[in-house]
Amino acid sequence: MRRPRVSSAWLLTLLLAWVVAYPLVIVGAEAARADLGAFVRQPTEWAALWASLWISAASVVLAGAIGVPLAFVFERYDFPGRRVLGSLIALPAVMPPLVGVIAFLFLYGESGFVARAVRALTGMQSPWRLQGPAAILLVHAYSMYVYFYLFTRAGLARLDASMLEASASLGAGPFATFRRVTLPLLRPALAGAALLTFMTALASFSAPYVFGGGFRVMTTQIVNTRLNGDMPLAMLETAALTVLALLGFALIQRTEGNRLVTSVGKGTPPALRAIANPTARRLAAFAGWLLAIVLLLPHATLVLVSLVPLNSWTTEALPPHYTLGNYAEVFRDPEKLRPMLNSLWMAAAATAAALGAAVWAGQLVVRRRSRLSRSIELLLSLPWAVPGTVVAIGLATLFSVRSPLSGRWVLVGTLAILPLAYLVRNLPLTGRAVLAGFRQLDPSLDEAAQSLGAGRWRRLWRVTLPLLKPALAAGGALAFVTALGDFVTSVLLYTYDTRPISWEILESLRLNNIGVAAAFGVVLMVVSALALGVGTRASR
Amino acid sequence: MTGTGGGGPTTERPFLQLEGLTKTYGAHRAVDGLSLKVSRGEILALLGPSGSGKTTTLRLLAGFETPDRGRVTVDGEDVTSLPPARRRFGMVFQHYALFPHLDVGENVAFGLAERGGRTGRVAEALAMVDLAGYERRRVTELSGGQQQRVALARSLAPEPRVLLLDEPLSNLDPALRERTRRELREAIARVGITTVLVTHEQEEAFDLGDRVAVLNGGRLEQVATPDELYDRPASAFVAAFVGRANELPGPLLGGKAGARAVVRPEAMRFTAPGPGSLAGRVVARRFASGYAFFTVEGEGVTFEVFAPHDAARVGDAVHVTVDRVLLWKEPA
Repeated sequence: MRRPRVSSAWLLTLLLAWVVAYPLVIVGAEAARADLGAFVRQPTEWAALWASLWISAASVVLAGAIGVPLAFVFERYDFPGRRVLGSLIALPAVMPPLVGVIAFLFLYGESGFVARAVRALTGMQSPWRLQGPAAILLVHAYSMYVYFYLFTRAGLARLDASMLEASASLGAGPFATFRRVTLPLLRPALAGAALLTFMTALASFSAPYVFGGGFRVMTTQIVNTRLNGDMPLAMLETAALTVLALLGFALIQRTEGNRLVTSVGKGTPPALRAIANPTARRLAAFAGWLLAIVLLLPHATLVLVSLVPLNSWTTEALPPHYTLGNYAEVFRDPEKLRPMLNSLWMAAAATAAALGAAVWAGQLVVRRRSRLSRSIELLLSLPWAVPGTVVAIGLATLFSVRSPLSGRWVLVGTLAILPLAYLVRNLPLTGRAVLAGFRQLDPSLDEAAQSLGAGRWRRLWRVTLPLLKPALAAGGALAFVTALGDFVTSVLLYTYDTRPISWEILESLRLNNIGVAAAFGVVLMVVSALALGVGTRASR
Repeated sequence: MTGTGGGGPTTERPFLQLEGLTKTYGAHRAVDGLSLKVSRGEILALLGPSGSGKTTTLRLLAGFETPDRGRVTVDGEDVTSLPPARRRFGMVFQHYALFPHLDVGENVAFGLAERGGRTGRVAEALAMVDLAGYERRRVTELSGGQQQRVALARSLAPEPRVLLLDEPLSNLDPALRERTRRELREAIARVGITTVLVTHEQEEAFDLGDRVAVLNGGRLEQVATPDELYDRPASAFVAAFVGRANELPGPLLGGKAGARAVVRPEAMRFTAPGPGSLAGRVVARRFASGYAFFTVEGEGVTFEVFAPHDAARVGDAVHVTVDRVLLWKEPA
């Protein structure tokens, strides 16, 4: 009486393959037609590839150097303000990439607050320029140390205290225990954080785009080549970046596959050590709050700049006038309100669709253990590995030709292309959360509902979805915020009717209307924080 | 109750000594003025319900906790404030705490000096727990019993002065427990090491311990050989904790009003009605290999009688006599 299960699984697999894998295949096919010899002989291409690699590697080192010690301090020691600071420290994560970049521009740029302060104090003219690799690395270190911080803290929290005690009772001192027990046990967490940072840095677009200048990494090189009209070369570059990213992806899959069991039995993490020495306590608290201020400076900068009227701030160290006019403009001017509404509906639609796909996948992969499970899971997580630039160019290429027989329609230039791109990029986030949610469900609950006579849709609606609410809220909030703050796909795929906030921010910046750009940034930040807040609350 | 047998403390100086150990967590006094002496080569079992302070005592011995008051000495040396790494006490953890990133051999070698006959020591230690040749196995591939033996070999390999065992058998399924207990006892006996172990199971404590210290609420109730504990408990708590015990109103057995008599079920038997016998009715029967515990209601109380399984049937009206009162509980 039920239709064969295979059809549903095949349908989902085909749909996912069509929007996730097919664009990559098209890119590969187009790239194969381009002149590989010319690409290989171009020194600029090698320079960009090399720049992408070393910037990513340096980002890993910097992020690790900040995030790991912080995690140890917050997971092991107790001092005043530890709880508040511990959550503040994850703040850079709630800043959309482009917003973070412009906040850095206003703060550390050549006419930013810090430079103005230095000038006011010393009289030096333009002490530095925020440009090139150093500027990119500064932004990366600020936004990506969070991965190391969170992963290491989680790893430390899972660490069984009796492991450390066993080591001590076998005669190992604190340093030997750290080297021989703690570090090896943390290795999976550290490797995970390193790969995640590497992939994020490899895909990073906003920072190199705004701060790169003549220094090109692969993502900005692709956009530049496209702007110059050399489509075949852009395809080759896209393919090269994809190969790099997929290598990283394969590495991650392997690391997760043979993840060590952290502990043979179940144990409790080591107790917090209170800092007893009062001077040390005060010092720790002081250092902690100083750190929090440094972390919050970009956010504060953005708020301050958003209050500056147009062309009113020239050489003064602090803006002379403040107004709420920029906000009034952003909300009253229909031309400015439009991008905000665009971003909201597109992000909402993409998130809803991505959640739907994830629930569909969960039913098939976890509940029915379909034969296509592995393919479905792989397709769901694949866009995570692929840089946004690649997703955008892949979709732009796939949907620029009308050829229904090969599954291609013209969507470029329509309302649909940007939400579709957001959807593809959201799939890994919702997929991961919802599949994990499904795995935690007790299958006997669904069976109980069946034995009570509930049909398929009623079970989904009355049992499965309510139980999945935490996973849906968490995954949905994250996906919504990512889509809302997206810059790279937006800049490559927008049409005038679907122009999103990030495009408008860049446009205001170009017109030197920094107050409005900052006001948009603040709105984006507040909406993101609200969405994440609602998501966290509902996921408890 | 000292020095009568079972390796109790003798006149020689105790090897391991706990003097007035006290440890509080906030307002909660986990260990309260505990003093114990352990002779060289003796196995002492700390027995008590959860929250009695036995695990805290073990952690004080290992050095993971520092006492608020009191001392721990080994062979005359005060180790109270010595860090665990320098104490040379071996410990087997409740969940074994085997390092998952190292194989069996590397786990056992962990506490040995970097060079000098390490391989030989590892092989020796593994042979001692019947795991010769297991060096290259992953610890996650081992059964629970094997993990426990690796943990034992690891703690014994550096030749510690004292061996500490935290609930050594609680992580094993019951079928395995009895065999592992025997192996554990043999291994300890072979090494002849002074041992303190913690358990909440009376059978385990009696089977492994030369002497057993019963703890309750952080205080020592009694320390004695298993036989003494069973036959001459110092308190009603000990009587009930190391075996089954009935509490009967004193006047029923010729005692004072208000006093209560503690009686073991096997010290009661079914009898013909007569002077001093208690009348009642059997309401339940629970088998115990050929014998049975009969729950009897009568004389306003409920008590248990241990007798051959066919001595009575549920519903029978019976009479019971008491052979021996274990101890009298005076009115508080």
